[in-house]
This record gives sequence, structure tokens and C-alpha cells, in this order.
Amino acid sequence: MFEPPYTRTRAANERLRAHECDACGWVSFPEQPQFCKRCGVDASWSETRLHPRGTVRSYVVQQRLPEEFETPLPLAVMDMPQEESGEPARVYGLFTETDPADIEIGMEAEGVFRRVFDVAGLPIHSFKFTRPRGDRL
Amino acid sequence: MSSETDVAVVGAGMIDFGELFEQSIDDMLAAAFRDCLDDVDKGMSPADVDAAWFGTIDIADNASSGLGLSHPTGLFEMPVTRVENACATGSSAFRSAVESVRAGNTDVALVAGAEKMRDSAAGLIEGAALDQVWRGRGVTMPAFFGLRATRHMEEYGTTREQIAKISVKNHENGAKYPHAHYRFTCDVDDVVDSPQVTYPLNLYDCCPVTDGAAATLVVSEDVVDEFTDDPIWVAGSGLSVDSFERGNDESLVGFPATEQAAGQAYEQAGITADDIDVAEVHDCFTITELVTYEDLGFCEKGDGGAFIDSGEPLLDGETPVNPSGGLLAKGHPIGATGVAQVNEIYEQLRGEAGAVQADNDPEYGLQHNIGIGRNATGSVSCVNILSRQR
Repeated sequence: MFEPPYTRTRAANERLRAHECDACGWVSFPEQPQFCKRCGVDASWSETRLHPRGTVRSYVVQQRLPEEFETPLPLAVMDMPQEESGEPARVYGLFTETDPADIEIGMEAEGVFRRVFDVAGLPIHSFKFTRPRGDRL
Repeated sequence: MSSETDVAVVGAGMIDFGELFEQSIDDMLAAAFRDCLDDVDKGMSPADVDAAWFGTIDIADNASSGLGLSHPTGLFEMPVTRVENACATGSSAFRSAVESVRAGNTDVALVAGAEKMRDSAAGLIEGAALDQVWRGRGVTMPAFFGLRATRHMEEYGTTREQIAKISVKNHENGAKYPHAHYRFTCDVDDVVDSPQVTYPLNLYDCCPVTDGAAATLVVSEDVVDEFTDDPIWVAGSGLSVDSFERGNDESLVGFPATEQAAGQAYEQAGITADDIDVAEVHDCFTITELVTYEDLGFCEKGDGGAFIDSGEPLLDGETPVNPSGGLLAKGHPIGATGVAQVNEIYEQLRGEAGAVQADNDPEYGLQHNIGIGRNATGSVSCVNILSRQR
């Protein structure tokens, strides 16, 4: 693995920076947007920011993974709303510090800032998800 | 369409799928090619082949180009193209050959697919995208498909038992299919009680890791009489890609790429889903086949559970699905998978499918693959339709 890709996506990974398509409102995250994935337009984009609390649209609990992952590992498809208004972004979210039995479709999950992995000694930080405090079962 | 050349399948060959540690990819390809030539009613020699398409994702790093097919088969001095399109690799190779023949550029085309899965593959944990942060990190194959299962159960009330019935059906068929990797039967309790791989999917919801090769010969209407009096025609083909990131909620409970590819294929064939009599579909996991019933239009969205309950996709049902045992029993050597599915439809339409022959005298048969793209962010589907009538 090499470092440059993580330099390009650092604002997305660490600050949830995203981009909204000026033509159709679709939100691109985490990559730098080019042609819009939804409307196909070579669009202009407005910078936006995602709120670190999203909604679980579906999930699984993985029991078999490469060694560097803790198992069981809950994984969700999340809709992450924008800080202001507009459509959410649809992303994968890895859970942490959460009992798999506490996850359900439709629940809110809170993004928590974590060291995700290292690349040649460089720590990569981003968000994992948990059931929000005060909302624990 | 009248200016286009009609395309016929005249031969199908494959090796017994399994853990084939004693065979190289060359051994497997040569055997499948030989079996395919032998299958042609009036005979065919390698010198009759004008061009070839080779499907492999080259998981064991031994066949990076068309030469990977030329070396074991002796097919040189002609166009040989390697095709890779995720799990739709074999069907995409078939489609590419068909398009060349349809366009009038090739009279006799070989399609061959092969994969050495057991030489190197890490199986189910392959594709966990370790170098990604958001785009598919830690998303294995069972996770990508299992996400549809959790959502389908929530949204449509599909039950764990309905999903398990797909595995029971396909193992029942596979036990009768001579080329299948797994030839055992199981019941719903066996599936539900098997070890959890990725909730909600268990071991018996997952296809095995399998080596294999298959080959098909397609020819133009101009030369078909030289090879057989009983050809099977290619009625339609479709291919499409889509991504769950585009925000379509149907991508949480199925695969819009399948709907799009099937739509293209039905339109080209001038038929609808109701006309399909037998199908070989992509059951890498049980849930994949269940949502594919819906995506192909065999039933309404959300009714996949009721469709398996009705018995319609069983071998003696109205529309048998995966008479060969599917990927769950036959195995999933990625480059060979789609080619072997086409072969099974060819055998079914010729009435030569032996112990797994559909007894509904099939006129139209459909073959389907769904593959997932890099970092589990999208899917690619290829659908091919064969017909007894030209």
C-alpha cells in the first residue's frame, strides 16, 4: 500500500467533507467528484459536510475476516445526512464497541473518530460507528 | 435486426468441477475444449475455429492474455481475446463471441472459461479491500450479498427458512448432476444450523471454492449446417453495471444491473420473463438467487420467498432454476461459471440434460451472472437467452 491516495481523501476521511452535484443533488463521498454517478452530467459540485450520525439501512455481522479485523464485526450500509440540508450520502460503515444484537435497520448510529489502520507507519484516521450513548439497550 | 447474422450454439463441453489440485489451468482448458469438440453432432476440428474468447479473472496469476487459451489448445494465428468482468466473466466472454458472429465478423467462435480457485484464493474473505477507508473496507463477498438478505427480510418479511430452501433445492439438483463439486443433499434445518459465516448467511448459504473449466462453440447461420441439424439459437443478450452508491433503494434489496441486463436481453429476444422455461442463475449465495427471481421478472419485487415456496423453480416445477445445482452445488470457478451455465441451457433445450432434464419441454432458457466490482461498490450483470426456434 502507498500513502498518496490517503492524502487525496484526507478531508473526507477526517472531516467528512463531501460534494453535492449542482445538477441533481446527489452527494459524492469520499472521492473527489467528476462526472456525477447518478445523473451522468460532467457536473459542477458544491462542497458540503456530512453529519457524523447516520441511519442504518441494512447490516450484516461478519464472523470470518482477515486477521487484522476483530470479529464478530458488524457492517452496515449507512445513509449519512449533510450538516445543512439536501440528500444523504450512502456509505459502508464498520461498527466498533457495539454488541451485534444491538443493531437494527432504521436505528441511528454515531460516527466515532478512530485510527482505522496504518500505511507504512502512517496512521489513517476516520470514522467507525456505534449505537449512540444514552440509546444503548 | 434483419441485416445481422443469426448465431447458434453447436457444442458444449466441461470438466467435472471440484478441488482439482492435480490439474493445471492448461490441463483443465484442454480437457474442456476436447469435450466441446467431441460434443458437436457432425464433428469439428480445431482448424475450424476462427476466433476465441477466453474468460478468466486469472485469480492464480497464470493466464494474463488470450495466450492463456492458445497455449493449451493450439489455437494460434487468430484473434484470441481474454475477457474479465468480475463474476460475469464467463457470460461476458460468451456475449463477446456472440456479438462478433452476429456482426458477421466470425463464423466459428470458441468461448472458453477457466479458473484455478484453489491454487491461491482465500475464498470467502477475498475482496475485503484492506487498503480502503470507506469504499468497501472489510466488505467480504458474503457481506455484500448478506446486506440484501437482512434488508429483504425486514422489508418484505422474507424468512430465514425461505432463503434456506434455495440451498436445499440446488443441492438436490446437484446431487444428480455428474459435473457438480458437491453431490450431497441437505434440508432446511441443515442450512439454518450450519456455522454462521456472515449473519444472516451460514455455510450452506455459500457456494464452495472450486476449480473448473468449460467451453462452448458458437457459429453463424451461414455455416451451422456443417456442424449440426439440431442447433440452439442465441435469442438475446444483455449486460449492465450499477452501483448501490447511486442511491436507488432497490439496490438494497436486489441488483438493478440484473434488471437492466435482463431488459436488454428480453427486448432483443422479443420475449418477456413469462416465456422463460428454464434458467441457470447466479446463486453465489442463497439470497442472490432469491432476489434474482425478482430482478429477472420471474415474480414481483419482494415475492422471491413466495416464489420458492410455490415450488415453481424446483426441477419438476413450472420454471426450473439451476437444474445443474447452481454455484451452490456445482461450484463457482469464476471464469468457467457463466460458460458452464450456457452449456447447461444448451443441453436443456436439446433435451439432453439427463437426470436433471426439465420435463416442461423448454423452448427458451436464460443464463444469468451478477458480479461485484472492486471495493464492493457496484455490480455487473450479464444475461444470455437461448432458444430452440431461430
